[in-house]
Amino acid sequence: MFLKKPDLTAGCRPTLSQDETLLVVQDGVGLYEGKYKIASCQKGHAYLTSHRACYVDDADPRANSWAIDLKDVERHEHQPGFLKSSAKITLYPKPIKRGFGSVSKSAVPQSPAFQRVTSASSPSSRSSSPFRPSAVSPADLPVVIGTWVCPICSFSNPVPSNFDPTIATEAFPLPPCLACGIKPPFATVLKAAIAANAKHLPESLPSSGAGSVPDSATGLHQSYDDSNTSDTIPCPRCTFHNYPGMRICEMCSAPLPTPNLLQRVEFEDSLARAGSPGPEISGLTLEEGGDPPSVKFSFRNGGDRIFYDRLKNAMIQRKWLLQNAPPIPRGGVDHPPTPLDMANITPASVSRPVSVGIAGLEQRGLQTRKINETVLGNAFADLEALMASAKDVVALAERFAVESNSGLGFSGPSSDVVLSQSAAALGMVTTKDVLGDSSTSLYISELARNLAEYATDDRRGILRRQGGTMSLVDLWAMFNRSQNGVELVSPTDFRKAAETWEKLGLPVKLRRFKSGLLVVQRRDASDEKTVSQIKVWLNSLRVAEVDETPTWEWATYGFGVTAQQAAARFGWSLGVATEELEMAEERGALCREEGVEGLKFWLNFLLEDE
Amino acid sequence: MNPAGQKQENTSDFVFPKSYNFPPFFSPQPTTLTREAQLRKWSIFIQRYCKHHRIFQLTLIETLDTPLFYNATLKKRLSLKDAKAVIDYMVSKEGDERAEWLGSERASAWIWWRKPEEWANLIAAWVDETGQKGTVLTLYELVQGETVEKQEFYGMDMEVLRKSLQTLVKKGKAQVFGAEDQQGVKFF
Repeated sequence: MFLKKPDLTAGCRPTLSQDETLLVVQDGVGLYEGKYKIASCQKGHAYLTSHRACYVDDADPRANSWAIDLKDVERHEHQPGFLKSSAKITLYPKPIKRGFGSVSKSAVPQSPAFQRVTSASSPSSRSSSPFRPSAVSPADLPVVIGTWVCPICSFSNPVPSNFDPTIATEAFPLPPCLACGIKPPFATVLKAAIAANAKHLPESLPSSGAGSVPDSATGLHQSYDDSNTSDTIPCPRCTFHNYPGMRICEMCSAPLPTPNLLQRVEFEDSLARAGSPGPEISGLTLEEGGDPPSVKFSFRNGGDRIFYDRLKNAMIQRKWLLQNAPPIPRGGVDHPPTPLDMANITPASVSRPVSVGIAGLEQRGLQTRKINETVLGNAFADLEALMASAKDVVALAERFAVESNSGLGFSGPSSDVVLSQSAAALGMVTTKDVLGDSSTSLYISELARNLAEYATDDRRGILRRQGGTMSLVDLWAMFNRSQNGVELVSPTDFRKAAETWEKLGLPVKLRRFKSGLLVVQRRDASDEKTVSQIKVWLNSLRVAEVDETPTWEWATYGFGVTAQQAAARFGWSLGVATEELEMAEERGALCREEGVEGLKFWLNFLLEDE
Repeated sequence: MNPAGQKQENTSDFVFPKSYNFPPFFSPQPTTLTREAQLRKWSIFIQRYCKHHRIFQLTLIETLDTPLFYNATLKKRLSLKDAKAVIDYMVSKEGDERAEWLGSERASAWIWWRKPEEWANLIAAWVDETGQKGTVLTLYELVQGETVEKQEFYGMDMEVLRKSLQTLVKKGKAQVFGAEDQQGVKFF
């Protein structure tokens, strides 16, 4: 399938694979399959990543979201908006290797470059290589190439690719003549096919023995020589069928398309004009009916240009090919700035086993510092380099953080954890850059999704560790800290994004306490739940073991708890604990005791009758 | 009930309400519903306490350190401000007018564990029972006389008695006459 179901994150955005990066997001996008709108996918977001183009529906993201792997895309096309028609970007799938396209390819071997791409992307495309012996087994791949001459107009037509002389019968739907549109008699075609096969087999065998990519250049000439009956190049101007070796038409001197180009042009024609009534096209559609239709993104809110630009770049970069590629070689990074550095490092590493004691330690420290210096120096040399060495720098920063913590004998657990996860955060951040034009509402909604993912991410468990409730300010600080100091989110944007959570149906919500404190909670959190949690806890204190018997009837009343205790118990921050307790008090579940030990909260026995 | 005997009993016999041992009982509650329940409990408690100790008039400053407002075991007390708030509640309609401030400075208050009308009804009923309608009784005789020793209003505060009798006068059921110290009352 060309269209695939993407995995979605908690924030209803496509889950990115390891090396995938988000390039552009655009809202107000509709999806077409072929020429027709997909009814359920007419209002959504388009996400372009380095590997995929995704459509995520606004209304029902789980059911109506689709992704297209860019590696399956043969060609892309941009069509600017005109009057009422919005701008569209069309993605054409790579053909499935059978039918018209594949046969003409096997007849006209492709240029090495083209073949390499197809074979790299899918092994099944092997069938398009000149692998002739398979033609012997008819059921497997009936490679029948030949031309039959129309008895009416004497035009040489190609024998249909799915026509197998060994099994074909009179009932076979023969395509009409390409020139006059009259169906040929069955016998004519059969004869032509058998003749072509007989000619074909003996000569094509040797070339197919060396069917590997480098040999295809020699194979190219051979097949041109031996298949001159099957492959002619029709002149685009006068339709004269030229000998395949020709570059200009023998009749009218018009430049002829090269075989490779020709085949592609024909293929594209078949796609672009699939519905037109021309006789030759009807024959073609019959053959390539199995190919998936193209997919169109319709940009109703604009943003198509940036999307298309980035799409082009992504198609050029082809990051999916690099998925398992080794990291950027060190040598290139290390060498250029100063060969002196290298000279210094090498002797140091050689002499390391020799030097012992304090001198050795010092030397080692010096060496580490040198390496760090090189990394940092290269990173900040220019921005491109910074992007390339981002991972190195982050790793370095993490090590610094660990070292500084261990040096102090004090580890700030939360900040440490946040730092170490910052590397993971690098790829998945919503920045204004990702969103093409500076549409603020789109930025806010994407940021909201990003935040929701960040807060609910199971790996980090930020919200969970905070007892399911954390103040908005805390989240803001934590989020910005995880950005490594770049692309920081302003408090205003952050607040706005948080306010859209509810509307976007994300798994977190913003809640305002009576005092005006804004907190982030899971969507399913409710005051009732919190109150019952607190009540259960306080009730459990009534049976708890105590060191010293209190003066009140603790078996009845239990204990009063301070906000600190509640914070410790539920993992809340102090501010949140105070607010939650006061909320429970307001609901009549708790009552307060003001004393020398501070404010304590008790189960509300005042409401009970004596 | 034996008021005469009870008068001599010390405070240990008084059964304090359960809430008296509940620390939050002594802190003003900010939540309306809880606050109302708290005040109601305080009101009932003060009335019971005063009835038990036959206290008719409460001076807040003096009573703050008594067990009424100070729980020695919990080391918890009601502050003057909060105590005033409680009395204010008792004075109000919601508190059933169970108290009445003496003067505008709100230093002390009558605690009506029995309202003047209720006292009046009690006395009138006793007069009726003993067939003394139409006879003149001195006020002293009414609260300190040998015949009323068994009655609840024995030893009653003179001021409260006068207030009670005034309610009867208004209804036309009694007539008070005489000078300051030698007042008499006649029931009809």
